[in-house]
Amino acid sequence: MAKESNQAISRKPESAMKHILSFVLMIAFTAASFFLVMSDAVPSGWVIPLLLIFAVVQVFLQLFTFMHLDQKGSAYYTIFIIFGIFVAVISAVGILLM
Amino acid sequence: MATLIVLLVLVLFLAAIFTGGYNRQFLERMRNSRTWDWLTTVDHKKIGILYLMGGLLFFLIGGLEAIFMRLQLFAPGNDLFVGRTFNELLTMHGTTMIFLAAMPLIFAIMNAVVPLQIGARDVAFPFLNALGFWLFFFGGVLLNLSWIFGGAPDAGWTSYTGLALNQYSPGPGVDFYVLGLQIAGIGTLIGGLNFIVTIINMRAPGMTFLRLPLFTWTAFVTSGLVLFAFPAFTVALLLLMFDRLFGSNFFDHAMGGSTVIWEHLFWIFGHPEVYIVILPAFGIMSDVISTFSKKRLFGYNSMVFATVLIGFLGFMVWVHHMFTVGLGAISNSVFAVATMAIAVPTGIKVFNWLFTMWGGEIQFKTPMLWAVGFIPTFVIGGMTGVMLALPPADYQYQDSYFVVAHFHYVLVGGTVFGLFAGIYYWWPKMFGKMLNESLGKWHFWTFLIGFHLTFFPQHFLGLFGMPRRVFTYQTNVGLERLNEISTIGVAGMLIGTIFFLVNIIYTLRKGPKAEADAWGLGRTLEWSIPSPPPEYNFAQTPLVRGFDALWVEKEAGNKTMTPAEPLGSIHMPSPSYIPIMMSLGFFIAGFGFIVRGIPAAVFGLIIVFAALFLRSFDYDRGYHVEPEDPEKGGKE
Repeated sequence: MAKESNQAISRKPESAMKHILSFVLMIAFTAASFFLVMSDAVPSGWVIPLLLIFAVVQVFLQLFTFMHLDQKGSAYYTIFIIFGIFVAVISAVGILLM
Repeated sequence: MATLIVLLVLVLFLAAIFTGGYNRQFLERMRNSRTWDWLTTVDHKKIGILYLMGGLLFFLIGGLEAIFMRLQLFAPGNDLFVGRTFNELLTMHGTTMIFLAAMPLIFAIMNAVVPLQIGARDVAFPFLNALGFWLFFFGGVLLNLSWIFGGAPDAGWTSYTGLALNQYSPGPGVDFYVLGLQIAGIGTLIGGLNFIVTIINMRAPGMTFLRLPLFTWTAFVTSGLVLFAFPAFTVALLLLMFDRLFGSNFFDHAMGGSTVIWEHLFWIFGHPEVYIVILPAFGIMSDVISTFSKKRLFGYNSMVFATVLIGFLGFMVWVHHMFTVGLGAISNSVFAVATMAIAVPTGIKVFNWLFTMWGGEIQFKTPMLWAVGFIPTFVIGGMTGVMLALPPADYQYQDSYFVVAHFHYVLVGGTVFGLFAGIYYWWPKMFGKMLNESLGKWHFWTFLIGFHLTFFPQHFLGLFGMPRRVFTYQTNVGLERLNEISTIGVAGMLIGTIFFLVNIIYTLRKGPKAEADAWGLGRTLEWSIPSPPPEYNFAQTPLVRGFDALWVEKEAGNKTMTPAEPLGSIHMPSPSYIPIMMSLGFFIAGFGFIVRGIPAAVFGLIIVFAALFLRSFDYDRGYHVEPEDPEKGGKE
């Protein structure tokens, strides 16, 4: 049963370009983050907001290129992502408040 | 670096001389050799055996460290291992036992059993499975190399940064901890991910979620915990690596950092880790108890519910490791209540095991002995756990031997007993040989008695005020006798382990061959195929018609499972040398960073990237095998 439904949602292979582009972009964003912190290119008040923006962009690249969030999947994706967000929020709130 | 290259060239020359030069024949001979087969295998059964051997090796090393510590504590004012050496022993004992013994042994049993229990031919990602093992192994070797390269880590297995930063722990010790665990941790994360996908996607027809054997359920929840808990540790280790290697100040309070952040990150990982190592033991117990009581598991649905609930609550209790940090009364109370709530699903499980045995036709084979020994031992550990969950009381217990006694009762009495039960139970399935029963019983009784003799007095040592992690104590404060008893108890566990090793060696040579249904009582799918299973596991994927799939067929008078597909050629993944190559790259890079040899680190990373590249453009689609027809009595 599980096997059949798996085959039913299999799609035509995606282009390698999309993956390579996302991969390069993510490495570039990471390098840029390091550069921002190490150099004085931007005023220090701007560093943290910029880092957060970079992080959000990377999350979306990760979710949509490599984790196929843009495609129709099963409920498992949703369950695991929601649980992940739940754990992350609890941990972040815990660390920030305490 | 230069020496390294010279050595490498020398080895190549020697290999060339001894094999008659580089030629096709040599490659051919290497490919067909047994060693190459094991190094490149992607078969989950072989990887399970590799995990088992790796885990047992580190279990022995960690045990040896424990023996050394107990010898030091045998008498007051002893000077066998003092100061830094003792700190190294206790750090390496904890780290080795948790990360390099308990976790790989769990992955060993998961690898050996889960695909068979769900009626699958392999895990979802065989390549990643091999990669996970080799990363764990090289990470573990890297960590243990610290003993000969400048001293082991000495900041405790929790590596609190108040002890672990450069100014507090000079020398490379903690660097080995950081990089060794980082590499082993990537392997664990990969393994966890693999099992989630396997259990969701690879179940045989009819194997719904509420028909999964309980061990598979706990493996599933454990893998989920690995997936969500390990990233916190990865981040913590990365920050510590930057602090120690590149001079950042995340944890240095003098420079505006905070050591409490490490404690939070460590325990956000560390508490789920506790459930990562105990839940599979619960699963093993459930399968073993139900099999040897010849009864369906009592309250299956509530067992599943309790497992999921424990996994869920496991993420909301980490602050109970930090009650005395001073986070305030409100956080302490919230986390105390959450912690005590976990006793409820755990209690459900304990009662369900008792009710499974109630009125059952119990056979006390070795796995069942471990399971029965597990229940009271684990309950003692659980009750001291609830005592520790009360913040006011915890202020008294904390950092004393009471805590040491508590977590050894849950980790040894829970996880290790569970693992031994699982190893004895599934050994025939993994190796095709039965382990010797009387040696197994000697192992159980000496280990059980030795265990309680060692750790029961430690409760009282703690209550009498003996602090943990301190290498000596004074005379005439009432600690001598109990410490002597505790050290003598270790001999029991040592003798038990020796019985176990003798048992393994003896039965691998002379043991009787195991039947497909080795215990004659099998309830789940793994007992419907030969021991050890053929490389494709199931010649035909079985059709599952209920919980305890094989038992359902036995009740219906069938000898085998009903197949769900016609006999046909089976697609198999090709073996690959890339996992070991990539792990070796990480190992070299890690070692390079530790000795601050940047060229070596770059060299290692180049190997890693070369392996990534090779894998990305690898178009090997595997091969097909023709299964033996089980109806025609194919060879086992």
